[in-house]
Amino acid sequence: MRMYEGLFLIDNAHASTEWDNVVKHIQDILQKNGAEILKTEKWGEKKLAYKIKSHKRGTYLLIHFNAKNSAITPIRKNFQLSDYIVRFLIVKDDKIEDLSQIGAVAPAVEKDVNKIPEIPVVDMLVENDVSV
Amino acid sequence: MSKKEFNKTSKCRFCRMGVDEVDYKDSIYLPKLATSQGKLFSRKRSGNCAHHQHSVKVSIKRARFMALLPYVA
Repeated sequence: MRMYEGLFLIDNAHASTEWDNVVKHIQDILQKNGAEILKTEKWGEKKLAYKIKSHKRGTYLLIHFNAKNSAITPIRKNFQLSDYIVRFLIVKDDKIEDLSQIGAVAPAVEKDVNKIPEIPVVDMLVENDVSV
Repeated sequence: MSKKEFNKTSKCRFCRMGVDEVDYKDSIYLPKLATSQGKLFSRKRSGNCAHHQHSVKVSIKRARFMALLPYVA
């Protein structure tokens, strides 16, 4: 068994009217293939960076699950046949050990935003002083 | 100024933050590592170390596939 992370881009027409059905549909496909769902998270509606099959907007759904290595190919095939899903990406995700960390990753990164521009500026000044 | 002092802090922003792998869902940093046209910044320009530049490259390509970032803008 291994931990995976799937991001699904869902057709907005279905997402706005029958969201619960869509989530169930995706979870059913995973569970039929012996996957164990750890966490599902809705990202909400977003504007896409480019048109996909003439869709300009879409709703994202993020699912963390445990599955066997061999189960991934049938899972992929099933998702490709699905009408609800415009595009999906399944990625190995072994690094996160505690599920509580998943939510906590983003805010921890945000705190450091202010620190980053400072250090290159200091480096530049010091180098300039030396050369002058 | 001794050279040792500014060697202490790494130039790579992800090394400084202690990030192991860059996440393709990271909507704060990934746009900063590409031009407004959507091209990747070079290692020289971004200042990233080899390890993190590689994971930035992979994660930007994943983000493009999921339409989080543009291929060409």
